[in-house]
Amino acid sequence: MNSRIPDTHAEAWALLPWLANGRLDTADREWVEAHAQSCAECRTELAAQKRVATQMQRDAAEAPASAANDEQRSFNKLWSRIEASEAAAPVTNANPGAGRRAPPMVRWLAAAVVVQAIGLGVLGFGAMRSPEFVTVTKEEARPNRSRAPAVRIVFSPAASIETINTLLEHQGLQIVDGPGTQGNFTAILSADAVASGASAESVAGVMSKDPNVSFAQPIAR
Amino acid sequence: MPLKIVENQSIENPALRLATPPSDASERALLDRIAKSQDQAAFRTLYGSYYQRLSRLLTRMSVRREDIEEVINDTFWVVWTKAGEFRGASQLSTWIIGIAYRRALNALRRAKLRPVADHEFDEDSISVESSEEDETNQQWLSLGLERLPVEQRMALELTYTLGHSCEEVAAILDCPVNTVKTRLFRARETLKQVLPRLAGMSGDHA
Repeated sequence: MNSRIPDTHAEAWALLPWLANGRLDTADREWVEAHAQSCAECRTELAAQKRVATQMQRDAAEAPASAANDEQRSFNKLWSRIEASEAAAPVTNANPGAGRRAPPMVRWLAAAVVVQAIGLGVLGFGAMRSPEFVTVTKEEARPNRSRAPAVRIVFSPAASIETINTLLEHQGLQIVDGPGTQGNFTAILSADAVASGASAESVAGVMSKDPNVSFAQPIAR
Repeated sequence: MPLKIVENQSIENPALRLATPPSDASERALLDRIAKSQDQAAFRTLYGSYYQRLSRLLTRMSVRREDIEEVINDTFWVVWTKAGEFRGASQLSTWIIGIAYRRALNALRRAKLRPVADHEFDEDSISVESSEEDETNQQWLSLGLERLPVEQRMALELTYTLGHSCEEVAAILDCPVNTVKTRLFRARETLKQVLPRLAGMSGDHA
């Protein structure tokens, strides 16, 4: 394939960043790799760019920890803005499937969720105050999980299974027990999430602000 | 902390999301729910999927911290109102990040900002002798990135931090593919002058 490239080295050199990040298409990857095999300069550059990429990803993975706590607050602002806008400009479009909204229904549902959330939250906090209520899961039944940071969660009745699964994945959580008598689940934090700095407290803090979660508390271990 | 986790479990941790963005298909399914049924949960999930990525990019663009939220929310305002108009000619991620990029450029123009490096980064504060090599590399990297023009910085971030292809970067930055290659070429040359430790080179290779 080299014959189609007038200046193979210059072309390969320009494409090395995407060989480094694994996003070259097959045809380009094959000839750039073939060139690099016979070009020490390109091999050195490729190794250098991989180091830069690795460092940038590491930097990025470590940097946004504090921003995660701002996410829900920011979303709430945006959602308030959307609701205010839609309340100020009622839908007149006869085609509801063309991207238009139905604000009265949205607000009604939101209000219903809030009422349910408050009710479930009160139930949950009541249960937390009870000295007998320590954990839903008996720790001796799951010795390999007993030390993992865990969170007790009650989801909003309006939350779909898909939404719940997405939410759990985003936080690196895995359900290990539930639902309990008050609809409460116990979820543990994955090793990856812990390694990246997440704790039961931080995750519960984020979860408790999510509109799909009625109640979230870290479980003391 | 010792923990046995279920095998093959797909975990998307916010901190790890940067380098492993969700698939285009799953994101399009969310957009479809937003467009067809104004699904708040889908909107929230999509928002969460991009919040960290965009925060990072906007920070790298030297957008002021207080403006970052506004740019992200302006971007997702467009996503909410235009979800039904997205025709899928490009990847959803390039559409969303492209909107954010243009909004951020507008914000920078409005604020007439200088790069943060001019007044916040002290080159003398770098300790080459630091025993924490990663920390030192991070400092050098920040210095190097801040010396780059914003277009080059974004091309580098989109390629290395977010893992986009050359074509995707071109779509996001709304420029030809060859322009992306040129920007990255120049960015690499500049970084070599600043990052000899990290890049493992003395600057005389190219």
